[in-house]
Amino acid sequence: MLLMLLTSAAVVGRPISYVGGWTFIEESNRQSTTALLHYTPSPSWSLGVRNEWFRDDDYAITSLQPTYLLKRWFGQDYQANVYLQGGLGLASGTSGNPLGSTGAGYAGVIADWETRRFFLGYNARYVEAGHFGDGAMQLVRMGWAPYEGDTRDLHTWLMVEVDHRPESKDPVSVTPLLRFFQGPILLELGFNIVEPTPLINFTYRF
Amino acid sequence: MNTITSFLIPLLLLAASTAAWGQHEHEHQHEHQHEHKQTHAATDATAVTGENISFTDRLTATPEIEAALANGGNAVVADVLGVVCDFCAVAMNKVFGKQEEVAAVYVDLDTKALNLVFMPGATLTDEAIASLAVQAGYRIAAVHRSDAVVTH
Repeated sequence: MLLMLLTSAAVVGRPISYVGGWTFIEESNRQSTTALLHYTPSPSWSLGVRNEWFRDDDYAITSLQPTYLLKRWFGQDYQANVYLQGGLGLASGTSGNPLGSTGAGYAGVIADWETRRFFLGYNARYVEAGHFGDGAMQLVRMGWAPYEGDTRDLHTWLMVEVDHRPESKDPVSVTPLLRFFQGPILLELGFNIVEPTPLINFTYRF
Repeated sequence: MNTITSFLIPLLLLAASTAAWGQHEHEHQHEHQHEHKQTHAATDATAVTGENISFTDRLTATPEIEAALANGGNAVVADVLGVVCDFCAVAMNKVFGKQEEVAAVYVDLDTKALNLVFMPGATLTDEAIASLAVQAGYRIAAVHRSDAVVTH
Protein backbone atom coordinates (compact mmCIF):
# COMPACT_ATOMS: atom_id res chain seq x y z
CA MET A 1 0.00 0.00 0.00
CA LEU A 2 1.47 3.28 -1.03
CA LEU A 3 1.08 6.27 1.14
CA MET A 4 -0.77 9.26 -0.10
CA LEU A 5 0.99 11.71 1.97
CA LEU A 6 1.24 14.74 3.78
CA THR A 7 -0.04 17.95 5.01
CA SER A 8 0.84 21.56 4.65
CA ALA A 9 1.82 21.99 8.29
CA ALA A 10 4.58 24.48 7.92
CA VAL A 11 2.86 26.68 5.38
CA VAL A 12 -0.01 27.37 7.74
CA GLY A 13 1.86 29.24 10.45
CA ARG A 14 5.49 29.89 11.06
CA PRO A 15 7.01 26.66 12.33
CA ILE A 16 9.30 28.49 14.75
CA SER A 17 7.91 30.85 17.37
CA TYR A 18 9.60 33.30 19.75
CA VAL A 19 12.05 31.95 22.33
CA GLY A 20 10.06 30.29 25.09
CA GLY A 21 6.89 30.14 23.00
CA TRP A 22 4.58 27.18 22.48
CA THR A 23 2.38 26.63 19.44
CA PHE A 24 -0.52 24.24 18.97
CA ILE A 25 -1.51 23.41 15.40
CA GLU A 26 -4.42 21.34 14.14
CA GLU A 27 -4.82 20.59 10.47
CA SER A 28 -7.25 18.58 8.43
CA ASN A 29 -6.99 18.30 4.67
CA ARG A 30 -8.00 15.87 1.94
CA GLN A 31 -5.73 13.12 3.25
CA SER A 32 -4.97 13.45 6.92
CA THR A 33 -5.68 15.05 10.24
CA THR A 34 -2.75 16.37 12.26
CA ALA A 35 -2.11 17.66 15.75
CA LEU A 36 1.23 19.30 16.51
CA LEU A 37 2.55 20.94 19.66
CA HIS A 38 5.93 22.63 19.36
CA TYR A 39 8.24 24.58 21.62
CA THR A 40 10.86 27.12 20.53
CA PRO A 41 14.02 27.12 22.66
CA SER A 42 16.06 29.24 20.23
CA PRO A 43 15.33 31.74 17.44
CA SER A 44 16.66 29.22 14.92
CA TRP A 45 14.89 25.98 15.81
CA SER A 46 11.85 24.41 17.40
CA LEU A 47 10.95 20.94 18.58
CA GLY A 48 7.48 19.46 18.36
CA VAL A 49 5.43 16.36 19.00
CA ARG A 50 3.25 15.50 16.04
CA ASN A 51 0.49 13.01 15.42
CA GLU A 52 -0.77 12.64 11.87
CA TRP A 53 -3.68 10.33 11.09
CA PHE A 54 -4.08 9.18 7.49
CA ARG A 55 -7.79 8.62 7.56
CA ASP A 56 -8.27 6.51 4.43
CA ASP A 57 -5.20 4.35 4.99
CA ASP A 58 -5.93 3.57 8.63
CA TYR A 59 -2.62 4.43 10.20
CA ALA A 60 -1.03 7.30 12.06
CA ILE A 61 2.50 8.59 12.53
CA THR A 62 3.51 9.88 15.94
CA SER A 63 6.84 11.67 15.75
CA LEU A 64 9.29 14.06 17.29
CA GLN A 65 9.68 16.92 14.85
CA PRO A 66 12.61 19.36 14.85
CA THR A 67 12.49 22.41 12.57
CA TYR A 68 15.56 24.47 11.71
CA LEU A 69 15.53 27.99 10.34
CA LEU A 70 18.05 27.86 7.52
CA LYS A 71 17.74 31.49 6.45
CA ARG A 72 15.52 34.48 7.16
CA TRP A 73 15.42 37.66 5.10
CA PHE A 74 14.06 40.85 6.63
CA GLY A 75 12.80 43.94 4.95
CA GLN A 76 10.79 46.92 6.03
CA ASP A 77 7.70 45.45 4.38
CA TYR A 78 8.42 41.76 4.05
CA GLN A 79 9.85 38.68 5.62
CA ALA A 80 11.03 35.51 3.90
CA ASN A 81 12.15 32.22 5.41
CA VAL A 82 13.61 28.88 4.46
CA TYR A 83 13.22 26.06 6.97
CA LEU A 84 14.37 22.46 7.09
CA GLN A 85 12.05 20.08 8.85
CA GLY A 86 12.27 16.43 9.79
CA GLY A 87 10.75 13.88 12.06
CA LEU A 88 11.35 10.45 13.54
CA GLY A 89 8.71 8.31 15.15
CA LEU A 90 6.37 5.40 14.95
CA ALA A 91 3.76 4.55 12.33
CA SER A 92 0.89 2.50 13.75
CA GLY A 93 -2.24 0.99 12.28
CA THR A 94 -5.58 2.46 13.32
CA SER A 95 -9.18 1.26 13.14
CA GLY A 96 -8.17 -2.40 13.34
CA ASN A 97 -5.43 -2.15 10.69
CA PRO A 98 -3.47 -5.44 11.14
CA LEU A 99 -0.16 -4.03 9.92
CA GLY A 100 0.96 -3.24 13.46
CA SER A 101 3.68 -0.63 14.02
CA THR A 102 6.96 0.33 12.44
CA GLY A 103 9.52 3.11 12.51
CA ALA A 104 8.83 6.17 10.36
CA GLY A 105 10.66 9.28 9.35
CA TYR A 106 10.28 12.27 7.11
CA ALA A 107 12.24 15.27 5.86
CA GLY A 108 11.24 18.37 4.04
CA VAL A 109 11.84 21.97 3.15
CA ILE A 110 9.56 24.94 3.70
CA ALA A 111 9.86 28.40 2.19
CA ASP A 112 7.67 31.46 2.50
CA TRP A 113 7.62 35.10 1.55
CA GLU A 114 5.08 37.40 3.12
CA THR A 115 4.05 41.03 3.20
CA ARG A 116 0.91 42.45 4.77
CA ARG A 117 -0.86 42.03 1.44
CA PHE A 118 0.69 39.04 -0.27
CA PHE A 119 1.79 35.57 0.72
CA LEU A 120 3.68 32.91 -1.17
CA GLY A 121 4.64 29.60 0.36
CA TYR A 122 6.18 26.33 -0.75
CA ASN A 123 6.49 23.03 1.06
CA ALA A 124 7.98 19.71 -0.02
CA ARG A 125 8.32 16.57 2.03
CA TYR A 126 9.28 12.93 1.71
CA VAL A 127 8.08 10.28 4.14
CA GLU A 128 9.32 6.77 4.77
CA ALA A 129 7.02 4.64 6.89
CA GLY A 130 8.30 1.07 6.54
CA HIS A 131 5.67 -1.45 5.48
CA PHE A 132 3.04 1.27 5.38
CA GLY A 133 4.88 2.68 2.37
CA ASP A 134 6.58 5.87 1.35
CA GLY A 135 5.73 8.95 -0.64
CA ALA A 136 6.40 12.56 -1.43
CA MET A 137 4.41 15.71 -1.90
CA GLN A 138 4.86 19.36 -2.68
CA LEU A 139 2.53 22.29 -2.51
CA VAL A 140 2.38 25.96 -3.32
CA ARG A 141 0.18 28.41 -1.55
CA MET A 142 -0.63 31.97 -2.67
CA GLY A 143 -2.53 34.52 -0.65
CA TRP A 144 -3.89 38.05 -0.83
CA ALA A 145 -5.25 40.22 1.95
CA PRO A 146 -8.05 42.57 0.85
CA TYR A 147 -7.00 45.08 3.53
CA GLU A 148 -3.98 45.62 5.79
CA GLY A 149 -5.05 44.76 9.30
CA ASP A 150 -3.23 46.49 12.12
CA THR A 151 -2.24 44.95 15.45
CA ARG A 152 -5.16 43.18 17.17
CA ASP A 153 -7.39 43.64 14.12
CA LEU A 154 -9.05 40.71 12.45
CA HIS A 155 -6.81 39.86 9.47
CA THR A 156 -8.49 38.21 6.51
CA TRP A 157 -6.72 36.43 3.68
CA LEU A 158 -7.99 34.87 0.49
CA MET A 159 -5.71 31.98 -0.41
CA VAL A 160 -5.37 29.14 -2.84
CA GLU A 161 -3.32 26.03 -2.29
CA VAL A 162 -2.18 23.74 -5.09
CA ASP A 163 -0.76 20.41 -3.97
CA HIS A 164 0.98 17.67 -5.92
CA ARG A 165 0.89 14.12 -4.53
CA PRO A 166 2.18 11.78 -7.25
CA GLU A 167 0.74 8.61 -5.69
CA SER A 168 -2.73 10.04 -5.25
CA LYS A 169 -5.68 9.22 -7.49
CA ASP A 170 -5.80 12.94 -8.25
CA PRO A 171 -2.12 13.89 -8.26
CA VAL A 172 -2.80 17.62 -8.41
CA SER A 173 -5.54 19.31 -6.44
CA VAL A 174 -6.63 22.84 -5.67
CA THR A 175 -7.97 24.19 -2.40
CA PRO A 176 -9.30 27.75 -2.15
CA LEU A 177 -9.39 28.85 1.46
CA LEU A 178 -9.96 31.71 3.85
CA ARG A 179 -7.48 32.60 6.55
CA PHE A 180 -8.66 34.49 9.62
CA PHE A 181 -5.98 35.80 11.88
CA GLN A 182 -6.24 37.73 15.12
CA GLY A 183 -3.68 37.96 17.90
CA PRO A 184 -2.41 34.46 18.74
CA ILE A 185 -5.18 32.64 16.85
CA LEU A 186 -5.25 31.59 13.21
CA LEU A 187 -8.14 29.74 11.57
CA GLU A 188 -8.31 28.51 8.00
CA LEU A 189 -11.38 27.18 6.23
CA GLY A 190 -11.24 25.82 2.73
CA PHE A 191 -12.55 23.21 0.38
CA ASN A 192 -10.63 21.00 -2.03
CA ILE A 193 -12.38 21.29 -5.39
CA VAL A 194 -10.68 18.27 -7.00
CA GLU A 195 -11.18 15.77 -4.21
CA PRO A 196 -14.18 17.28 -2.43
CA THR A 197 -12.95 17.57 1.14
CA PRO A 198 -13.01 20.42 3.64
CA LEU A 199 -9.78 21.96 4.88
CA ILE A 200 -9.80 23.10 8.50
CA ASN A 201 -6.63 24.44 10.08
CA PHE A 202 -6.23 26.04 13.49
CA THR A 203 -3.16 27.51 15.17
CA TYR A 204 -2.81 28.92 18.67
CA ARG A 205 0.44 30.47 19.83
CA PHE A 206 1.15 30.96 23.53
CA MET B 1 -20.32 19.42 -8.18
CA ASN B 2 -23.26 20.14 -5.93
CA THR B 3 -21.10 19.36 -2.92
CA ILE B 4 -18.42 21.73 -4.14
CA THR B 5 -20.93 24.48 -4.83
CA SER B 6 -22.55 24.05 -1.45
CA PHE B 7 -19.18 24.62 0.23
CA LEU B 8 -17.75 27.29 -2.04
CA ILE B 9 -20.70 29.66 -2.09
CA PRO B 10 -20.86 30.00 1.73
CA LEU B 11 -17.05 30.31 1.71
CA LEU B 12 -17.16 33.21 -0.72
CA LEU B 13 -19.98 34.90 1.18
CA LEU B 14 -18.04 34.43 4.39
CA ALA B 15 -14.95 35.93 2.74
CA ALA B 16 -16.81 38.98 1.50
CA SER B 17 -18.60 39.67 4.78
CA THR B 18 -15.52 39.08 6.93
CA ALA B 19 -13.34 41.24 4.75
CA ALA B 20 -15.89 44.04 4.91
CA TRP B 21 -16.26 43.69 8.68
CA GLY B 22 -12.51 43.43 9.19
CA GLN B 23 -11.93 46.56 7.11
CA HIS B 24 -14.55 48.41 9.14
CA GLU B 25 -12.99 47.31 12.45
CA HIS B 26 -9.55 48.25 11.15
CA GLU B 27 -10.64 51.76 10.24
CA HIS B 28 -12.55 52.13 13.51
CA GLN B 29 -9.49 51.17 15.55
CA HIS B 30 -7.30 53.56 13.60
CA GLU B 31 -9.64 56.42 14.39
CA HIS B 32 -9.16 55.62 18.08
CA GLN B 33 -5.39 55.35 17.75
CA HIS B 34 -5.30 58.64 15.91
CA GLU B 35 -7.21 60.27 18.75
CA HIS B 36 -4.70 58.87 21.26
CA LYS B 37 -1.80 60.15 19.19
CA GLN B 38 -3.32 63.59 18.91
CA THR B 39 -3.84 63.81 22.65
CA HIS B 40 -0.36 62.62 23.46
CA ALA B 41 1.37 64.89 20.98
CA ALA B 42 -0.54 67.91 22.20
CA THR B 43 0.42 67.19 25.81
CA ASP B 44 4.12 66.81 25.03
CA ALA B 45 4.20 69.71 22.64
CA THR B 46 3.29 72.05 25.47
CA ALA B 47 6.05 70.67 27.67
CA VAL B 48 9.12 70.18 25.52
CA THR B 49 10.82 71.34 22.38
CA GLY B 50 9.59 70.86 18.85
CA GLU B 51 12.09 68.07 18.37
CA ASN B 52 10.18 65.94 20.83
CA ILE B 53 7.07 66.15 18.71
CA SER B 54 8.77 64.05 16.07
CA PHE B 55 9.33 61.36 18.68
CA THR B 56 5.76 61.43 19.90
CA ASP B 57 4.59 61.30 16.33
CA ARG B 58 6.38 57.98 16.13
CA LEU B 59 4.85 56.69 19.34
CA THR B 60 1.58 54.79 19.18
CA ALA B 61 -0.16 55.77 22.37
CA THR B 62 -2.40 52.96 23.50
CA PRO B 63 -4.06 53.27 26.92
CA GLU B 64 -1.30 51.05 28.41
CA ILE B 65 1.42 53.21 26.85
CA GLU B 66 -0.29 56.38 28.09
CA ALA B 67 -0.61 54.98 31.61
CA ALA B 68 3.05 53.95 31.73
CA LEU B 69 4.13 57.38 30.47
CA ALA B 70 1.94 59.06 33.06
CA ASN B 71 3.69 56.92 35.67
CA GLY B 72 7.01 58.51 34.73
CA GLY B 73 8.58 55.95 32.40
CA ASN B 74 10.74 56.86 29.44
CA ALA B 75 9.68 55.70 26.01
CA VAL B 76 11.49 54.03 23.13
CA VAL B 77 10.26 53.51 19.62
CA ALA B 78 12.21 50.96 17.61
CA ASP B 79 11.80 50.45 13.87
CA VAL B 80 11.46 46.72 13.29
CA LEU B 81 12.15 44.76 10.12
CA GLY B 82 9.95 41.85 9.19
CA VAL B 83 6.84 42.51 11.25
CA VAL B 84 4.06 41.69 8.82
CA CYS B 85 1.43 39.87 10.86
CA ASP B 86 -0.22 39.58 14.25
CA PHE B 87 1.97 36.58 15.19
CA CYS B 88 4.91 38.97 14.89
CA ALA B 89 3.23 41.41 17.26
CA VAL B 90 2.34 38.64 19.71
CA ALA B 91 5.95 37.41 19.73
CA MET B 92 7.38 40.86 20.41
CA ASN B 93 4.75 41.59 23.07
CA LYS B 94 5.50 38.29 24.83
CA VAL B 95 9.29 38.66 24.79
CA PHE B 96 9.40 42.32 25.82
CA GLY B 97 6.45 42.03 28.20
CA LYS B 98 8.44 39.56 30.32
CA GLN B 99 11.22 42.07 30.99
CA GLU B 100 11.00 43.66 34.42
CA GLU B 101 12.25 46.98 33.00
CA VAL B 102 9.27 47.21 30.65
CA ALA B 103 6.04 48.80 31.86
CA ALA B 104 4.17 48.78 28.54
CA VAL B 105 4.77 47.37 25.07
CA TYR B 106 2.89 47.69 21.81
CA VAL B 107 3.87 46.61 18.32
CA ASP B 108 2.24 48.73 15.65
CA LEU B 109 2.03 46.91 12.32
CA ASP B 110 1.09 50.10 10.49
CA THR B 111 4.20 51.99 11.59
CA LYS B 112 6.33 48.82 11.80
CA ALA B 113 7.45 49.95 15.21
CA LEU B 114 7.98 48.48 18.64
CA ASN B 115 6.73 50.94 21.27
CA LEU B 116 8.18 50.53 24.74
CA VAL B 117 7.73 52.45 27.96
CA PHE B 118 10.02 51.54 30.83
CA MET B 119 9.38 51.40 34.53
CA PRO B 120 10.33 54.70 36.22
CA GLY B 121 14.12 54.86 36.46
CA ALA B 122 14.64 51.73 34.34
CA THR B 123 15.75 51.26 30.75
CA LEU B 124 17.10 48.74 28.26
CA THR B 125 20.14 49.47 26.12
CA ASP B 126 19.87 49.52 22.34
CA GLU B 127 21.88 46.29 22.29
CA ALA B 128 19.50 44.62 24.75
CA ILE B 129 16.50 45.69 22.68
CA ALA B 130 18.13 44.32 19.54
CA SER B 131 18.94 41.04 21.28
CA LEU B 132 15.39 40.63 22.58
CA ALA B 133 14.02 41.35 19.10
CA VAL B 134 16.17 38.53 17.75
CA GLN B 135 14.70 36.21 20.39
CA ALA B 136 11.27 37.18 19.10
CA GLY B 137 12.43 36.40 15.55
CA TYR B 138 12.88 39.93 14.21
CA ARG B 139 15.49 42.61 13.68
CA ILE B 140 15.72 46.19 14.90
CA ALA B 141 16.61 48.80 12.27
CA ALA B 142 16.76 51.88 14.52
CA VAL B 143 15.97 52.94 18.09
CA HIS B 144 14.51 56.35 18.97
CA ARG B 145 14.47 57.49 22.58
CA SER B 146 12.28 60.11 24.17
CA ASP B 147 14.77 61.02 26.90
CA ALA B 148 17.56 61.42 24.35
CA VAL B 149 15.47 63.88 22.37
CA VAL B 150 14.49 65.84 25.46
CA THR B 151 18.14 66.49 26.40
CA HIS B 152 18.90 68.13 23.06
